[in-house]
Parts: sequence; C-alpha cells; structure tokens
Amino acid sequence: MRVVCAMSGGVDSSVTAAILREAGHEVIGLTMRLYDVPEASAGACAPAPSAAASRRGTCCSPAEIDRAKEVCDQLGIPHYTVDERERFAAAVIDDFAREYSAGRTPNPCVRCNEHVKFGPLLARARALGADALATGHYARIEGGALLRGVDPAKDQSYFLFAMGAAILGDVIMPLGTWTKEHVREKARRLDLINAEAPDSQELCFVGARAHAAIVEERARALGLDPAALAPGAIVDREGAAIGEHDGIHTVTIGQRRGLRVPGTAPRYVLRVVPARNEVIVGAAEALARGVIEVDDLRRLAPLPERGTIAASVQIRHRSPPSPATIELDGRRARVRFAEPVRAVAPGQAAVFYAGDQVLAGGWIAAEGEGTR
Amino acid sequence: MIYLDHNATTPLDPRVAERVAQVMGDPLLQGNPSSIHAWGQRARAVIERARRTVAGALGAEPLEVTFTASGTEAANLALFGAVRALRERGAPAGILTSPLEHPAVLGPVRALAAEGAPLRLVEVDGRGRISPEAVAAALSRHPEVGLVSLQAANHELGNAYPLAAIVAAARVLRPEILFHCDAVQALGKIPVDLRTLGVDLLSVSGHKIRGPKGIGALLHRRHVALEPLLRGGHQERGRRPGTEATPLIAGFARAVELAVSELDARQGPVRALAAGLRARLGDHARAWGLRLYGDPEASVGNTIALGVDGCEGQLLLINLDLEGIMVSTGSACSSGTLEPSPVLLALGCTPEEGRSVLRISLGVGNSEADLDALVAALPRAIARVRGEAEGLSA
Repeated sequence: MRVVCAMSGGVDSSVTAAILREAGHEVIGLTMRLYDVPEASAGACAPAPSAAASRRGTCCSPAEIDRAKEVCDQLGIPHYTVDERERFAAAVIDDFAREYSAGRTPNPCVRCNEHVKFGPLLARARALGADALATGHYARIEGGALLRGVDPAKDQSYFLFAMGAAILGDVIMPLGTWTKEHVREKARRLDLINAEAPDSQELCFVGARAHAAIVEERARALGLDPAALAPGAIVDREGAAIGEHDGIHTVTIGQRRGLRVPGTAPRYVLRVVPARNEVIVGAAEALARGVIEVDDLRRLAPLPERGTIAASVQIRHRSPPSPATIELDGRRARVRFAEPVRAVAPGQAAVFYAGDQVLAGGWIAAEGEGTR
Repeated sequence: MIYLDHNATTPLDPRVAERVAQVMGDPLLQGNPSSIHAWGQRARAVIERARRTVAGALGAEPLEVTFTASGTEAANLALFGAVRALRERGAPAGILTSPLEHPAVLGPVRALAAEGAPLRLVEVDGRGRISPEAVAAALSRHPEVGLVSLQAANHELGNAYPLAAIVAAARVLRPEILFHCDAVQALGKIPVDLRTLGVDLLSVSGHKIRGPKGIGALLHRRHVALEPLLRGGHQERGRRPGTEATPLIAGFARAVELAVSELDARQGPVRALAAGLRARLGDHARAWGLRLYGDPEASVGNTIALGVDGCEGQLLLINLDLEGIMVSTGSACSSGTLEPSPVLLALGCTPEEGRSVLRISLGVGNSEADLDALVAALPRAIARVRGEAEGLSA
C-alpha cells in the first residue's frame, strides 16, 4: 500500500520509514516545516556549541528537514516538505503563550499532535492517495485501540490521546512494538546518517531559549495584557506576601527551585492565581490532590456518556499512573484518586488507562474551574 | 521522468558539458588566470575569449562583461554596486522596480531600502503587464529615483516586457537614469541585447540556458560606476575579486553562444508545444476549475502559470511528481513555503488563489507525449487533492 510517513529528521521516524519500505510498501516521506529558527538563537547565543549539541537540532527544524531528505535518499523514497508554520504558530505557539498567561502549564506536544499531525497531515496524506499515515511514535494501534508502546522508557501514548478514536484505523505506528535500543541498532545496520543522533530534549520551537522569553514575545504579538506576565507576589497559604515572582509564566505547579523566598523549609508552588497575579507556595504535603476535574475529554475506547468507571490516570509524561474512580459526564470527568497525587498542573493532560490501553484523555482544569 | 520545470533550471547541453570537461581536464589549462607564467597565460586566454564571445552575443563590449558565480550575484553587484556609487556621488539613489521581480532583485533592493534608499514600485495590471506609461508616470512622480530595475521576462508568468520602449520613455524624462535589466529568464527564450534594450546593467545566468550552474555575468555599460561587493584581488578589474572559474566561464560562453545562435531553432518548437498545452488547458478550464495567468500576447512562450480551484499547489506538485512529472509551484527560490507567491499577490490574487498555482515551464527536449502525460495526470491529481478520489476514508 501507499504510506505517507511523517518524518521529523530524527532516528525514530527514519527507521519507521525504513521498516515500512522493507515490508514492501510504497513509502513517501513528508516533513512539516513548523517554525523558523530565529537567527539569533541558531547557535549564536551558545558560546561554543559542542559538536554533539550542534548536531542535535530539534524536530522539524530546518536542519532536520535537510536530514530527513538525506535519509529518504538513502532509503530510496521520495521526500517532500510541507509548510505548516502558520497553523503551528496559531495552534501551538500562540496557545502556549495564552495558557501560560492564564496561569496554566500547557502541553504543546499534545496540541501539535491534535492540531497539526493528525489533522492537516492526515488530510495531506489522503490528498496524496495514501492508504495510511505512519508516524514514529512509541505507541501501538491494535484492533482499533491505542496502547502504550512496549518500551516503557519511550512510551508516547500519553501525548496521543487527543487524536481521537475516529482516525485510529488510518494511522500506523510500527515502533510501538520496538525498543529504542532496537531502533538504534536497526538505524546502525542501515547506516542511516542519524543513527547516533541524540534524542531531542527541549520543546522543538523553544530550543535553547528560555520558554518565558517566547511566552512574552508571543503574548506581546497577540496583544495580550502585559500585566498578566508582570512580576507579582509569592504568598504563603495564609495569604501573606513572602517574596516576588518574575511572572506567573515562569513557574509551574510543584516547582521548588528558583523561588526567591526566605527561610530554610522547602517550599513548592501550590497554585497560581492569575486574577491576583499571585503564586501560592507551601510545604510538599500541601501539593497532594485527591480529586481533579478534566475537560475536553476525548474517548478512545467505548465508554459510557455518563457513569463511573475505574481506571488508572496519568497526569504527566513519564509518571506512573495512579488508580482512580472516574465520573464521566459527557466531555467532562471528575477523577477521584485512590491515593492523593502530587503536583497537579492545570493545562496538562490527564490520560485514563486500563492496563496498556488508552481509554480517554482530557485537560486538567484549574481548581474550582469546571470548563476551559 | 518528464521535466517541465525549465524556468527553475535546464539540463546541460552536451556540447557545453564537453567544453567544460575539456577545459577542466586540459593539463595546460590548470593555471591561475592571474599568473604570469605559461599556464596562467593559457587560462587567461580562455577567459578573455569567453568574454569576447559573451559580449558579442549580447551586444556588449568585452570590457563590459564581468563574470559572477550566479545570476543572483550579478543582480546584487548591479544593484548594490550602482546604488552605492550613486549615493557616493550625491546623485539621486532611489530605486524604482516592480513587485513582480525575482527574489534575486527584491532581496538586494529591500536591503538597500533598509540602508535608506527610497524604494518605489511601478504599477502592474491584473495580467502582470508593465507599460512604458506606468514607468514614466512613476518617474515623474518620484524624482528621488536614480535607478530602475526591471526584468525582461517574468519567472512565474513568462510575461515578456517591452523593455526597449520602457527605457526610451524613461529617458525622455530622465536621460541620466540608470537601468538594470534582470534578463535571467529572458536569455535563450527571446532576443537579449544590451544596446538594443538600451539598459546600463544586465544580469544573466548560465544554468537557465543549458549552461553550467555556478556561473553568471553582469553586463555593464562603461559609464556606470560600480562599487564591488567583494574585496580582494584585482580579478575582473577589481569588480569581482576571486580566482576565476575557468571551466565554468568557458562553458558559460559556449552556452550563451548556442542560446543566441540557435534561439529560433530551439524556441520555435517549445513555443508551439506550450501554446498547444495552453489551449488544451483552456478547453478544460471550466470542467477542471483552472485559471490561466499571465499575458500570452507578450510572453517568452514556454511558461504556463496555472491556478487550480480548491487545491494546494504543493499537493498537486507532489501528486504529479509521484507520477514522474516534475513541475513547480512558483519560483523554486521560494519553494518549501506555503506563502503565496508575491508575483500572484501583485496580480490581485487572494492568498488562497496564490497558493493554488502550478508553474509549468517547457524547454528543449519536451515532446507532445510529455504534455499528453501531464494532461492525463492532472485531473487525477486534482481529484485526489480535492478529496474526490479513493484512498483513506475522509
């Protein structure tokens, strides 16, 4: 069959293309151009980037697009670049700035998957006559269900819930049954030029820059109220001012480091109150939450519209899921954890699992805030 | 594989390839053309013979030819070189150009504007035409203009401009005004002659005329003062320092010679093929939702700018490429972006229309069978892109 393979320039999507090709499919490599690297940050700010660092790049950067082209040439498949800068800026970067300005902690990877990868990219694959869209995600799609990847260290199912159930039949993720080590081995055997490329760590469009600077820049461009990002008070749980923060977008729930507060007792960010431009801090115990509200729920398995189910709920990438009872109510859900969980950041995703299967996922609402 | 992207670049003429290989491989031509010894003298002779050939073919004196590494470099040298020299002299150093120019001109023009040179744009109509009257009107409104830069033919539309008439009309008002002509897309397609056109500066490129990539030339009338872009040795009379690329210069001269002497023999069949294709696409225009841009009345005759309703040009391009047919969405210099072509926007297209355009450019080697294949593949590609074909569930 004809398969469009989404290629970031990294080793995972390159191996994905390679194994589909070996399986006898007609593979077309497609890379999305998502953003421009500002010249000032394209290496100029780092005093003397090591060879490894300068080779790293991040997903879909101009250098990675060139690398994807080279890999496709090695594999003997065509490669094209499609321009998604406008959509990425609107759906991901602007959202990133808006969310931080509103005191939440956004998850741009989930946004990108939903609004760029599995929307427009799938539409493009259709327009190229493809029978399927392949990605290099470490997750499995089996029998119409989305499952965790078998490599627990690389599993990316948490980021994928927003793709929704309707398109599961159109997408293939061959690496779901692979470990990263196997992928690297395969890349070495094929002598792919990026076999040894380190995994990208930072958010692609942030790179080595401070994320706060990007939030401020975009917020200005969007005409958001600059007061939302102004320095403000750090208060204790009783409301007494004990320090100053550099803007609510510079902190995240559960953060301990970098807070300018007196005293020796460790203090953590408990809540962000945008209306008062306040950051509330307190002891670790106060981070615990027994109940969270989730909105904009996406179901990836047959679940009742309303009713109560048992599932394990993951509230961060790479944190273990916690058993919970979930009250479903249309697009919303209330999650009651069997044991309280720590550092729940509004704006992050809550994903419900039954074993390895993703049942549903949604966005964590701020306390006392039912909808987004 | 069917190549319909000759405005991006052309395949090398075998006779040019032979000349490049011969000069590159000749043991006696390995010297630095600036060296005084025997090898240097031989290499110098090759370059000066090439200069005479290029000058003779394009209506210039040998001293009026400076070899560059590309058409882009030639245009940069013309614009930066002449405008900075005007500024130095205290003469008006504003620039009048058109919104339809190639990035090789618009780039340096914008950079000069950022340095403070006033930038004015001449009016173009909905088919991308530029009239002598429009240029004269702009000049009479803008006495601050000291240099006019206009292309002889447009890279996306194939329009050919009445440059000699434009220059004549401008000189009535402003006898001293400098004219730069970007003739990169015109050379090899229509007659190009420095003196007939009446311009002061003229940029050409090798790879658009079945010559090598990496070589071009700027023609400059003797009275034009030019500040060099690069600083270094005395090569090209100091206008373009850097050791000359002897084999590329020799190949370029051969390509220019052939492009001029074989102009009608080459372009006659290409024009006939393109006119036939244009007529066939016109016949299907309503059924397939096509729009044809440009001015077929005054054109270089090989280019078809085709808008397809409701289709992203880049997706049509990929679909055609997967069937072995190579076209482009606009200037290759701006490929990989969804930004609608500035040429089409200047014609009054909406951004969506601008993104839906394919550029089909014919050249030597194309046949009727190539066009049959294109006309057969196009509706399939359109149906896919519009989501009217089989494939993934929509």
